[in-house]
Amino acid sequence: MRTSFVFSEVVTGLRRNVTMTIAMILTTAISLGLLGGGLLVVRMVDKMQANYAGKLEVSVLLTNDVSANDKDCTQQPCAGLRSQLEQTSGVETVVFQNRDEGFERFKRIFEAQPELLKLARPEAIPATFRVKLEDPERTDVIKQAFEGKPGVKGVDDQGKFLERFFEGLNGLRDVALILALIQAFAALLLISNTIQVSAFTRRVEVGIMRLVGATRWYTQLPFLIEAVVAGIIGAVSAVAGLVLFKAFFLDRITRNLTESGIIPPIGYLDILIVSPWLFLVAIVISATTGYVTLRLYVRL
Amino acid sequence: MIRLEHVSKVYKTSTRPALDDVSVEVDKGEFVFLIGPSGSGKSTFLRLLLREEVPTRGRVYVSNFDVAKMSRRRVPRLRQSIGCVFQDFRLLPTKTVAENVAFALEVIGKPRNTIVKVVPEVLQLVGLDGKEDRFPTELSGGEQQRVAIARAFVNRPLVLIADEPTGNLDPDTSQDIMLLLERINRTGTTVIMATHDHGIVDSMRRRVVELAFGKVVRDDARGVYGVGR
Repeated sequence: MRTSFVFSEVVTGLRRNVTMTIAMILTTAISLGLLGGGLLVVRMVDKMQANYAGKLEVSVLLTNDVSANDKDCTQQPCAGLRSQLEQTSGVETVVFQNRDEGFERFKRIFEAQPELLKLARPEAIPATFRVKLEDPERTDVIKQAFEGKPGVKGVDDQGKFLERFFEGLNGLRDVALILALIQAFAALLLISNTIQVSAFTRRVEVGIMRLVGATRWYTQLPFLIEAVVAGIIGAVSAVAGLVLFKAFFLDRITRNLTESGIIPPIGYLDILIVSPWLFLVAIVISATTGYVTLRLYVRL
Repeated sequence: MIRLEHVSKVYKTSTRPALDDVSVEVDKGEFVFLIGPSGSGKSTFLRLLLREEVPTRGRVYVSNFDVAKMSRRRVPRLRQSIGCVFQDFRLLPTKTVAENVAFALEVIGKPRNTIVKVVPEVLQLVGLDGKEDRFPTELSGGEQQRVAIARAFVNRPLVLIADEPTGNLDPDTSQDIMLLLERINRTGTTVIMATHDHGIVDSMRRRVVELAFGKVVRDDARGVYGVGR
């Protein structure tokens, strides 16, 4: 196999129908970019689940009266509630957090939003028992047992909130993947069309190649490589797009959430881990489409 | 070298067979004219040898290839042992004379050092030395056909198939091309040439196989184009 020959054929082929090639690369890039985005969301959800799995707590919020008057939880009903919580089966630890501590924590979480801090008053933050369970799924037990008890304002289940949040993220992921699929279909048709056009413009060469006894591989390889090269350029653009998206958009809008540890940041490492998949998908799809097109539509 | 045994070919689009029970044998080193009016089956005959078509019935042998039965994978091997020349030259306009000839070797994976050695040799044989770097459009019709012959012959095929190679050329130029084909024939290459050119057939006095409506109607060892014309 003369590589220089195949290579020069590929370059002329790509240059000869530049508009089609660009359309093919852009569609592939957008499709792969969306796929990459979807995969990043998957990674993020996984990380979050791992992050929160050990930390999920149920917060038992105390009434205003208790919050204001019982800073150390030594009086009733606070002390009684604590011992009841500690004796409930399945409870691992109970931590009391009074109003001032709660306010400090609030300030820490929202330190990036001074407007919000200006509005906040310690009086709005209730004293709280932060209850950690052995089985984070069994939050209902605490809710049923303590909601409505004297001194208890409410039971706040972080798990429920997170579930909704994960649902939102998973929805985002599904939308990205569906769009990626539609784009991939468009890319597929474009690849197929480009190869047909390319084979048509080169029909004299291909005719001569067949007549002088070039093998099927020799005649087809330039077309296949042409498609794969376009696919790889598409994948490179997709990865570049993800990096730019992270640097100029995602980092900005999620800075508060990531700094306060609510959601894990998407790092360049995550993009690096996702990108081999994009290349693999690009190569497999373009090569398969190319091969099938040559088989079905082009007589070589 | 070439043997057709009771070969028939019926195209799907036609009720009349393009070839009808044709049996022809051609020995190594022979020069054969294939004549007959348009639609008599000459092109089908040639296409069967190249395995561009498969016969409906009968068997086709070229060298030791069982052409009709062979697997697709082996077809390139067959075609590497057959050179082809056409009426319309079929040169690549973006490549020079030397590149056009080299192309035939490049695409079958011949090494670079072989190509740089044999291409000038064959260009000298066809009388095109000094014109290696010209483009096809800068050449006369006769010269373009010489390039095509060089390309067909550069891999030293056992058989050279020429489909009306002089169809686009004036009589003098045609004569030059025939001399060149004769020279190639003298190297031991079997030449099969389909033609309408009376003058050439009559002057060469070689074997003539005439087809009409897909049948062999005449096979003369030293024939002329038309009997009694």
